[in-house]
Amino acid sequence: MLPSWYLLVPILLPVIGGLVVGLCDPVGKKDRPRTWWTGSVLALSLLSVLPVLFSPALELQLFRLSDNLPVFLRSDDTGKYFAAVMSFVWCLAGFYSFGYLKGEEHLPRYYAFCLMTMGVLMGLCFSGNIITYYMCYELMTLLTVPLVMHEMTPDSVAAGIKYLIFSVIGASLVLLGIFQLAPYMSSWSFAPGGILDAEKVAGHENTVVAIALIMALGFGTKAGMFPLHGWLPTAHPVAPASASAVLSGIITKAGVLGILRSVYFLIGPDLLRGSWMQITWMSLTLLTVFMGSLLAFRENLLKKRLAWSSVSQVSYVLFGLSTMHPVGVVGALLHVAAHALIKNTLFMSAGSIIRQAKHTRVDELEGIGKRMPVTMWCFTLVSVGLVGIPPCLGFVSKWYLAQGALSMSGVPGFFSWLAPAILLISALLTAGYLLTVSIRAFFPGKKEHAPSPVWEKCEAPWIMLVPMLLLTALSILLGIFPGALIRLFEGLAGLVM
Amino acid sequence: MLIVCILLPLLGGALLPLGRFPERSRLRGILTEAVVCLTSVLIAVALFRGIPLEWTLWEVFPGAVIAFRCDGMSSVFLGLIAFLWPLASLYGFSYMEHEHRPNAFFAWYTICYGITVCVASAGNLFTMYLAFECLTLITLPLVWHKWNEESVAAARKYALYVLGAAALGFLALVSLTALGGADFRPGGVLPAEIWAAHGDLLRALYVLAFLGFGVKAAVLPFSSWLPTASAAPTPVTALLHAVAVVNAGAFCVARVTWFSFGPEMLAGTWAQTAVLLIACCTVVICSALAVRENHLKRRLAWSTASNLSYILVGVALMTGEGLTGALSHLVIHGLMKIVLFFAAGAILVRSGKEYVSEVRGFARPMPFVCACFSVCAVAVVGIPPLSGFVSKWILLEAAIHTGRASGIFAGACLIISSVLTAVYLLSVVTAFYFRPLSEENRAWGAEHHDPDLRMKLPMALITALVVILGFWSEPLVTFIRSLVP
Repeated sequence: MLPSWYLLVPILLPVIGGLVVGLCDPVGKKDRPRTWWTGSVLALSLLSVLPVLFSPALELQLFRLSDNLPVFLRSDDTGKYFAAVMSFVWCLAGFYSFGYLKGEEHLPRYYAFCLMTMGVLMGLCFSGNIITYYMCYELMTLLTVPLVMHEMTPDSVAAGIKYLIFSVIGASLVLLGIFQLAPYMSSWSFAPGGILDAEKVAGHENTVVAIALIMALGFGTKAGMFPLHGWLPTAHPVAPASASAVLSGIITKAGVLGILRSVYFLIGPDLLRGSWMQITWMSLTLLTVFMGSLLAFRENLLKKRLAWSSVSQVSYVLFGLSTMHPVGVVGALLHVAAHALIKNTLFMSAGSIIRQAKHTRVDELEGIGKRMPVTMWCFTLVSVGLVGIPPCLGFVSKWYLAQGALSMSGVPGFFSWLAPAILLISALLTAGYLLTVSIRAFFPGKKEHAPSPVWEKCEAPWIMLVPMLLLTALSILLGIFPGALIRLFEGLAGLVM
Repeated sequence: MLIVCILLPLLGGALLPLGRFPERSRLRGILTEAVVCLTSVLIAVALFRGIPLEWTLWEVFPGAVIAFRCDGMSSVFLGLIAFLWPLASLYGFSYMEHEHRPNAFFAWYTICYGITVCVASAGNLFTMYLAFECLTLITLPLVWHKWNEESVAAARKYALYVLGAAALGFLALVSLTALGGADFRPGGVLPAEIWAAHGDLLRALYVLAFLGFGVKAAVLPFSSWLPTASAAPTPVTALLHAVAVVNAGAFCVARVTWFSFGPEMLAGTWAQTAVLLIACCTVVICSALAVRENHLKRRLAWSTASNLSYILVGVALMTGEGLTGALSHLVIHGLMKIVLFFAAGAILVRSGKEYVSEVRGFARPMPFVCACFSVCAVAVVGIPPLSGFVSKWILLEAAIHTGRASGIFAGACLIISSVLTAVYLLSVVTAFYFRPLSEENRAWGAEHHDPDLRMKLPMALITALVVILGFWSEPLVTFIRSLVP
């Protein structure tokens, strides 16, 4: 039996490790010891999460903001799942960055913020109430801004500020929602199915529904949901690839978790099912799914294309949540892991190409598959998964999403066919914007006036390849054996509905 | 006890120039610090020994008594200035090595302390008004201290605004005294018959008093003296124009609302709507103006104007929750903002740069200053777990709990303003850390330029308090909550 204070370990360990790198750069100004330090903190943090995952829910009351706002941690199943995905992927992205950023400037700062963000993310996953969640959410925003601005070019600083402003607006909407909601709450801790006091809500249903939409929009900012998605395609591509990978794959999921918590653990789906909020929200997610894929399809810059793809794919998850049907929620939760694994791999491969071959545009990638075979194989395999072709995890999640769309109730009937249709069109567009890259890479066309191509190998070093390979393997393995995950999520969905 | 706390800094300050200290004098510093510290210790002892403390001086003419009484609300304000004054003086010793006529400066600076104590512990409206006016006059020499064109113009503007608008307060003072409401009593002094007879007149007077005393808190349309007055030396801008003087304005408004007129008779009337609207507009407009401002100290001054109106919003909500939020913000904002000004002042003396666009990349030569600035900037934005969140939360909750449309409007204004706050402060922080040094600063920036310990110590202590109060604000908030009548 784990003592309850243990919950602080996975949060504080990386934060302290990060502070040490940032403030003292502990072991001289040399690269190697710093890398070792960061790597071991990353690995230890990942290990320290494991005991929490395999023990029953822990609860820990920390301190109070003002005199009545408890900061409270609890490791329930949802939190554990997100913590598992986030810590694992974050750790691998950290190792990838050792290769990717080798020889760059300002490394102590990068590693410091990278580690601290990992700790705050664990705080986010284990938040036991909305105030704690909000606190970690804001801190996460602040800690990731330096990652976006890392290159310190005018472009990246401008993108960082855009990111900051959008995030602050989103967080303010959330805050607005929280304190509007506070009078209706019966307690200050998340519980499956919501914690609103039915008596207090009676007569104010419309207010609560409006608040739910405000909070969904607020958290939707981080998840890149229309209409506050504008920062994402600007901020993700300018960061170093190792940071864009986690920004796209993990940080967007903080928005998802926020919506999941506020809709299913705070307000309760029963109140919202069939309301105008559900219809509005679902329409926004579907619009985002379609718009993101379309704009990704039209984009030539590889990393920007991937960023638009994130806009689209994260809204798949939000769509699943907006169905408020158990099957849809299972699909959403599956897609969280699928997108986290896949998008990280895609950005990592893009990073390898940028670093090794110095190509940033899609039309420069003719024949890159011959020069960087491992990287491009990873890229292709996970692309197939993101399109939704079996046996990748992406297929399973989309299957459940479509099933959920078909069987949901409460919304006007035409959504049941419109939603799967949009998901399908978007999947086709996904194939269009991802698989064309692979085709260019492996089957370069013959061009009459093109300069003679360079064929020498420029494969990335092993420290960058191993994380990519691991993520790719996992996304396929989970696609072949999704049973355990599905059972877990069905339990969760049954609990909240 | 109270008399000593008031007279000690007054006399100490007045006698200081007699020493005829040379420009650089260690002794002057030690004496000033001793007087200020002693006063602060006495105040602390007095507050811990127990309130209320009373002291009636004399009756100037029938109906106008000079009397001091230190109750719970005074103790909040007193505690804040007693903590900050010694630290700000310490900062001032280092800062004033770069300015002239330090004897005059520290004399006025210390006298100011005594007058602020008078404002905080005034026992009736007459005394408060007198102290309020004295505070204006005493700060004038500090504003024009540099004696150049800019600072004299600033002082003129300051005097014009504050003295002019204080006339509105005078109107309220005279009328209230005539109606028998000169005393302070929790919940208001005027009996119900008078309210029934002169209801609307009284409400009109309240709005006048709000503007008259609110001018020191830089409420619209009287805000623009505050950014102009930032031409004064930084210890003045930091302590007086971010904490003592402006808080005195907000404090007087709270006093008049809760102890003279009484919130019961004002709540829900047009007078409340009017003042709430004024305060809300100030909150939003001043933060928008701060975004537009490129001069660092002036940007901070606009920010002060906006944040002081947070306090006024809390007062104008006229609920106990609102007052709790207002007083919490009075304390917490004072702490955060003084560090921001200290940092801006440190940058000014070490590099001579005063525009936001000029301080790019300063995190490298001045890491300590920039770190303190960043922590407090994040706190002012109101991001948990730093303390700015605490007072903002109480204010927001109070605004919503009124249940009226005006309350919800106020809440929305506070939220919009915090977004703007994030823009105007965090853009400075990113400029510190993520922009390269500009060409002209390149050579200067190659060396380390953090200021000496006398500047660093106050900044470090207050920043630490800002952080600690975020995690552990329960005692403060519980104390303030217990004061609300």
